[in-house]
Amino acid sequence: MLKGEVFMKKLFTSFLSVIFLISIILAGCSNSSGTETANSDSGSGSKSEDVVTLSFMGWEASPLETESVKKGLEKFMKENPGIKVEYTPVPGEQYSSKLITMMAGNSAPDVFFVYADQYRDLVNRGTLLELTPKLDDEIALEDFIPSSQSIMDVDGKVYGISSTTVSPVLFYNKKIFDEAGIEYPSSNPTESWTWEEFVDVAEKLTIKEGKDIKQYGAYGLEILGSTTALLRNNGAAFLNEDGSVALNNAEAKEGLEAIRKLREDGITPAAQTLENSGMSAPQMLQTGKIGMMIEGSWALQQLATMGFPVGVAPLPKFGSEPSTHGSAHLHSASANTKHPEEAWKLIKFLSSEDYQNQLIKEGLWMPNRVDMYSEEGVKAWYDSEVHPEGFLEMNSFFKDAEAYPFVTIQKYVIQDIVSEEFEKYYNGDQNVDDTLSKIDTRVTEELARK
Amino acid sequence: MLPEKKGTTNKSVVAEPSIMRGKQETKTGKLTSLFYKDGTWAVIFLLPHLILFLAFMLIPVIASFVLSFTSWDMISQIEWVGFGNYIELFNDEVFIEVFWNTIYFTAVSVPVGIFISLILAVALNQKIRGIKFYRVAYFLPVISSMVAVAIIWQWIYNPEYGFLNFMLGIVGIDGPNWLSSQTWSMPAVILTSIWKGLGFNMLIFLAGLQGIPDSYYEAAELDGASTWAKFRFITVPLLAPTTFFITIMSVINSFQVFDTVYLMTGGGPGRSTSVLVHYLYQNGFEYFRMGYASAMAYVLFFLVLIITLIQFWRQKKNSLY
Repeated sequence: MLKGEVFMKKLFTSFLSVIFLISIILAGCSNSSGTETANSDSGSGSKSEDVVTLSFMGWEASPLETESVKKGLEKFMKENPGIKVEYTPVPGEQYSSKLITMMAGNSAPDVFFVYADQYRDLVNRGTLLELTPKLDDEIALEDFIPSSQSIMDVDGKVYGISSTTVSPVLFYNKKIFDEAGIEYPSSNPTESWTWEEFVDVAEKLTIKEGKDIKQYGAYGLEILGSTTALLRNNGAAFLNEDGSVALNNAEAKEGLEAIRKLREDGITPAAQTLENSGMSAPQMLQTGKIGMMIEGSWALQQLATMGFPVGVAPLPKFGSEPSTHGSAHLHSASANTKHPEEAWKLIKFLSSEDYQNQLIKEGLWMPNRVDMYSEEGVKAWYDSEVHPEGFLEMNSFFKDAEAYPFVTIQKYVIQDIVSEEFEKYYNGDQNVDDTLSKIDTRVTEELARK
Repeated sequence: MLPEKKGTTNKSVVAEPSIMRGKQETKTGKLTSLFYKDGTWAVIFLLPHLILFLAFMLIPVIASFVLSFTSWDMISQIEWVGFGNYIELFNDEVFIEVFWNTIYFTAVSVPVGIFISLILAVALNQKIRGIKFYRVAYFLPVISSMVAVAIIWQWIYNPEYGFLNFMLGIVGIDGPNWLSSQTWSMPAVILTSIWKGLGFNMLIFLAGLQGIPDSYYEAAELDGASTWAKFRFITVPLLAPTTFFITIMSVINSFQVFDTVYLMTGGGPGRSTSVLVHYLYQNGFEYFRMGYASAMAYVLFFLVLIITLIQFWRQKKNSLY
C-alpha cells in the first residue's frame, strides 16, 4: 500500500522535467498582467495625460552596468516627460529563455537588449520591430563601424541598433614584465607581436618550481571568442560567402595546433584550472598567477580599479597585421509594442553617443560610431585614469574589426557545437583533424535543418 | 453500517415522498448526503492542492505530450510533425551520447551509492559514543544547497590547488585534471552526487535496520552464527523492502540528474557529462526547440516507467513476504 503510493508519487516526479518546461512558460505569462495594467493606467490616466509607460528589459552583466543604465534612464525621462520607463534587469544566464517565454506569452517588453548572436534568430521569427524606416540623419547605418554595421544589417533591413562594440585584446601586468625584464608589447597594431614573439615572451613569463607552475605565461586563448579571433587572423574564415561552414582547412588547423601547444608546454592553464580556484581571470592577472590575458576589452572596467599597472595591446598576429572581431548587444523593440514611436525614442537614446560615452569612459565599452574615433570624438570618452598608455593607438584595431563570426549565423546551437569540439581538442581527447571534420559535419547538418 | 443505511433511506423518503423508490434511488441519496456531510469539506480542503496540481502538473504534462509531436519554438506557429521528433531523437548523435551518459551515471551511482549507504547505516546503527553527531554529519550534505556543494567540489577537484590531487600527491599519484578530462569528469560528477545523496539513503536504511527485532540476532548468536552470516541471512533479507524503495528512488533521481551536472561541468568537457535532462534543458531554452525537448522528456518518462515496472515485477517474484 505504502509502496504503491510512493511509487505513484514518484512516477509523477518523473514528469518533473516536463513541468519544469511549462512552469517557466507560465511564469512568462504571468508577467503580462503587470505590463497590461501599466499600459491601461497610462491609457485611462486623466491627470498624467499622454504619459506612456515603456517596459524595458536588459541583463545584469554587473551591478556597475545596471547602475549606469538606471542613471541613463533617469536622464532620458527628464528629457522626455511624456515617457515613463520601467527597467527590469534579469540575470544574464536566464535572459534569453525569459525573453522568449515572454514573447511566447505575448507579453514581451517594449524595448529590450538582444544578444548579437541571437539577433538573427529573433528577426527570422518576426519578433522584432523593423527600424529601417526610422533611420534618419541622427542615426544612419553608415555612421557605424563595419562590425556593428554587419551585425545590424539583415539583408538591407535593420531591427536593432548596436549598443557599442567590444573585442578580444591582450591585457598584461606591467609589474610582471618589469620583474622579468621584458619589454612591453607595443599597443600600435603596426608594431604588434608576431605569434612567435608572443609565445617566446609567454615562455619567459612562465615560472616553474619543480612540477608546479607558479606563474603561467598567458591565459584565455582557449576561450571561444579568442580562438576564433586568432584563427581568423591566420586566414581561416568560419563561413563561406554562401553561408556554408568553412572551418575545415589548413589555416584553422595550424591556428588550433599553435594554441594547443601552449597547453602542452605548460605555458597556459586549462580553462577550468584557474576558474575553479575561485579567481576571475582579472584577479589572476592581478595576483601574478598569469602574466598575460586574452580577454574581451570590457575587462578593462574591472582591471582599471584593481590597483596594478595594466597594459593593453592588440592580439599577436599570424599574418602581416593583427586583427580581432567586434560584437555587442543590440537594442530592439518588440514587433507588438503599442508605442513604437516612444520605443524608438528610447532606442535612439540608448544608442546615442552621449549614453555610450559614460560606459566607454569606465573602460567597459568601445565606440561603435566612426566619428567617435576622430580626434574630436575621442576627447569625449578617453580617460587616462582608465585607459592605459598608448591605448588610443589601438583605435583602428577596434574600429576596423570584423564582426564576431557567430553573429551572422542564425542558430545558437552552432556555437555550442564548435565550442564542444574545440574543448575536446584542447583537452587532448580528440585530434585536430577529427575536430575540424566533426565541426564540419555537425554544423552542416544543423544548418540544413529548418 | 446498518443504522446509516436506514437513515439514508429515511431521508430520501422525506425528500422525494412518492414517485421513485428502490435500490437506485437509495444509492443516489446516499451519495448526495455523503457529499453534503463530509465531501464538501474534503473538496474545499483539497482545492488548493488540486488547483496547483492541475495548473502545474496535469495540464502541462498533457500539453507537453501534445507538444512532443510538434515543432515549436515558443514564438512561431505550432507545426505538426507527427513522430518526427522521436525519429530525429534516435538519429541524433548527441542525444545518443547523452543517453549513454545517463545510463553510465545511473549504473554507477545507484549500486555504489546504495552499497556505501548500507555499510554506513549498519555502522551508524551501533552503540557508539557520539553516534548522533556522526548521523548528522553524514546527513548534512543532503540539506546543503547544491550550488554550495558544487563550488566546494570544484575546488576539491582542481588539478593544481585541489584537495583531491593534493592527497593523491602525498601517496605519489599524479592526479588527473578531473573536471576537464573526458575520462574523469563523469566519475568526478558521480562521486559528488553519491556523496550528496548518501545521507538520505543512509537514513532510510537506518530506519529499516531499527525495525529488525534484536531477537533474530540473539537467536542467531545462540546458534553460533558469525557476524557475516548474521548480516547476510538476517539484515539483508529483512531490509529487502527498504532496499527496494531506495533502489527505485535512486534510479529515478539519477535519471533526472541535472543540477549537479549543470553546476559542476555544464555538460563538458565536450559532451562527456551531459545527461538527458541537461540536453533537454538546452534544447528547450537555449535552442528554442520546445517540441524536441518535450519528446525527450517523454522518452525519459517511458524509460523510467519501464525500469520501475521491471523492478516491481522482480520484487513481486522474489519477495519472501
